Amino acid sequence: MRTVILKAGATLLTVAATALSALYVTAHLKNPAAPLQPTVLNASRGAGISAPGGTLTLGPSVQPSTEHPVTSTYAS
Amino acid sequence: MPPEPPVQAHHFEALGTNCSLFGVGLSRGRLLEGEFWVRRLGARLTRFAPDSELSRFNAEPGGWRDVGPELESLLRESLRAFETSAGLVNVAVLRSMEAVGYTRPIAEARPEATEPQPCPLPALPDVLAVRPGAARLELGAGIDLGGIAKGWMADRLRDSLGPNALANIGGDLSAGGQGPAGAGWPVGIGGATVLLREQGAATSSVRRRRWGEQHHLIDPRTGLPADTGLEEVSVVTASGVEAEVVAKAALLIGPELAPAYCAAHALAWWLSPRP
Repeated sequence: MRTVILKAGATLLTVAATALSALYVTAHLKNPAAPLQPTVLNASRGAGISAPGGTLTLGPSVQPSTEHPVTSTYAS
Repeated sequence: MPPEPPVQAHHFEALGTNCSLFGVGLSRGRLLEGEFWVRRLGARLTRFAPDSELSRFNAEPGGWRDVGPELESLLRESLRAFETSAGLVNVAVLRSMEAVGYTRPIAEARPEATEPQPCPLPALPDVLAVRPGAARLELGAGIDLGGIAKGWMADRLRDSLGPNALANIGGDLSAGGQGPAGAGWPVGIGGATVLLREQGAATSSVRRRRWGEQHHLIDPRTGLPADTGLEEVSVVTASGVEAEVVAKAALLIGPELAPAYCAAHALAWWLSPRP
């Protein structure tokens, strides 16, 4: 009798775990719009600005400005 | 609204290029000290003067040689640059520079056109070793610190000039503090103006320092002037020397992979392909 109870309990536990897992997975479908991880794979990160001769991309820590630049990266 | 604090600016020519120092609340004398430091160090690190510390190091390969703290630091930075760029930034480029005719400052004499043959550069760790106070160069190898020295010097000046200063050493920028108006230092990059705050910026280009069909930017995979489809790359990173390394590596990687590389290593970037 005790053996039967143990077998039945194990079976119920297994069936319950399987059912709960199925419910959880169904409720947490993969979001196809999720961002790529790591971000390195997403080369379009940042704000891209097309300009004559090329493309400028600014990340969030670099702000554009309308001020006159005091200097530039171009040198003779 | 309180008036903006005055910005002291100082422009000069050194290292065969244009340099500028800026500081908020700094005296002109402080900026002049910065210029003298650049000139003194430049005279020790140039490959064009036979009696410079770098030229003497290049001329004595095959054994351990004493080096000053600045050259030691730069050689260590060069090994780090080689590692982080997967070998694309390689200062063991002197022999290739000589092969393409770049043996004197361009301001003094236009290099003579040559027909160099492909000769991939050796891996830098195979020909350069550094220990405290000394370094060793293998026979046949030669070092040209190039842009790494400029970025490194800009970073040292950013740290030494004052809490709110900007150094531009031949196009390698390093900015400290919040700039004149508190929002950052306005600098030109890729035809636009961006604000640098505790950041560096640099441009790697094959549009300048050209003669005939050749130019000064050597691809270490061939030992020849680079031809990757990109003509100019500018980046913003955390420091001047890092910007120098990332810009050069991105240009050498080429237009297909450079966007992903810059997205991983830069805070902002300008990519200009060959027309």
